[in-house]
Amino acid sequence: MKKTEEIKKSIADILELPQDIVLDLPKITLIGNLQLYVENHKGIIEYSDNRIRIFTKCGILRVIGKNLLLKNIVLEEIVIVGEIREVEFDD
Amino acid sequence: MLILRLWNYFRGYVIIKIEGLNLERFINMCIEKNIYLWDIQRKSYTTIEARVGIGGFKELRKVSRRCGCRISIATKNGYPFWAHKVKKRKMLLTGAFFSLLLIVVASSFIYSIDIVGNKRINEKAIIEALHEMGLKPGVNRYSISLRELESQLLTEFSDLAWVGIQLRGIYAKVEVVEKKLPPEIVDKETPCNVIAKKNGVIEQVIARNGDAVVKSGDIVTEGDILITGIVERDNLQSPIYVHAFGEIYARTYYDTIKSEFLTEIKKQKTGKKYSKKMISLGEIELTFRGGKIPFDNYITENRTKKLTIWRNTTLPVEIKIEDYYETIDIEKKLNVEEVKARMHQEAINELMAEIPLEGEIANTLIDFQQTGDLLQGKFTIEVIEDIAMQEKLDIEED
Repeated sequence: MKKTEEIKKSIADILELPQDIVLDLPKITLIGNLQLYVENHKGIIEYSDNRIRIFTKCGILRVIGKNLLLKNIVLEEIVIVGEIREVEFDD
Repeated sequence: MLILRLWNYFRGYVIIKIEGLNLERFINMCIEKNIYLWDIQRKSYTTIEARVGIGGFKELRKVSRRCGCRISIATKNGYPFWAHKVKKRKMLLTGAFFSLLLIVVASSFIYSIDIVGNKRINEKAIIEALHEMGLKPGVNRYSISLRELESQLLTEFSDLAWVGIQLRGIYAKVEVVEKKLPPEIVDKETPCNVIAKKNGVIEQVIARNGDAVVKSGDIVTEGDILITGIVERDNLQSPIYVHAFGEIYARTYYDTIKSEFLTEIKKQKTGKKYSKKMISLGEIELTFRGGKIPFDNYITENRTKKLTIWRNTTLPVEIKIEDYYETIDIEKKLNVEEVKARMHQEAINELMAEIPLEGEIANTLIDFQQTGDLLQGKFTIEVIEDIAMQEKLDIEED
């Protein structure tokens, strides 16, 4: 499993393919501290007013802030609106 | 995003409250089942609020059973719910329909007619003619042909050069342009007199045809005959009628009286201010702040604010602000010479506008009189000009 990952990564490097597609990684877009788009997520683990944890391929993405709201949630994408203070990956 | 919101509105959605312990699992299951949830908000440890479409809501039942949550509807929103509510209120619907119909029908009638541009032709005459042709208050706007009316009106009034009728809602605007009549020229063969067009003292008489009846030094008033076209001689049996013409130069007087006070009252602001605010809606004004003005002596400044929707489109609603500034009067003695000079300039400007271009200014008389605080000035300009004007002779055949 680990090996295939490495091969994929090197292929992506050689062919200059976008890594988020080849490696199935999340694409995270942060607009100021107001909006956070997470594409290619694997599900939501925890959701509360000031903390959201999202499961992704490369670990758990933790978003900390105030008045967080799940604006939009579909299979591919999550949009979080609110006062975002921290975005970090846990293992 | 607006498109999405509109789409949601038309599809209809519900705001639901989900109660349970493992709510994240519930959200994940919704994602898996392809149920679109949005605006998910945590209310408390055990409840969240979310929005879901009508279609999705039915499927939610299964999901909630599987993860042991309770779903309750907080609000129903969107067009389908609204339509359902309205369907029950048939009378409201019919009322709305009839009021709309009333507006449409009522606005298809003409209520007022306005005529613009007429100077010589009587407005009443035009309105009466229009009445006969069918354009009158109360007539349906679709039952009249404007182009036909225009040409009819043109044939009715020979003095009109152009007619344009515009309908603006319930208001008909009739624009007319009158023909410009050429100035009356007395034919060279027609017998005529030369008369005075102004009062004056005759300076010089040049009678090129006809008999002069005035000589220099005579005082004439407007309308007096200066050169007669009826020539009578001793050797003639009956007078002959000629086309009299000539130039009569006369001294004419243009005068004006000006008066001014020598002390000027100047208002000076004390710094105290009082504002009155009002909303004006067309003709109606509503004061919503301020009542009686607390000053005896004040000056007013008005400001208006218009609400702009888009570029030049404005609402008919205005906010008017009247500012009242308290003032005190300050008396100031004016310099007599300065006032005189100013009055003189004003008088000259006023008189020069009256004097014809070809007139020759002979003399200027200025007379100032001061009575107390009031300074009065009389300005007279003497002009030598041609006062001849031809007038057709009425010849009585006998």
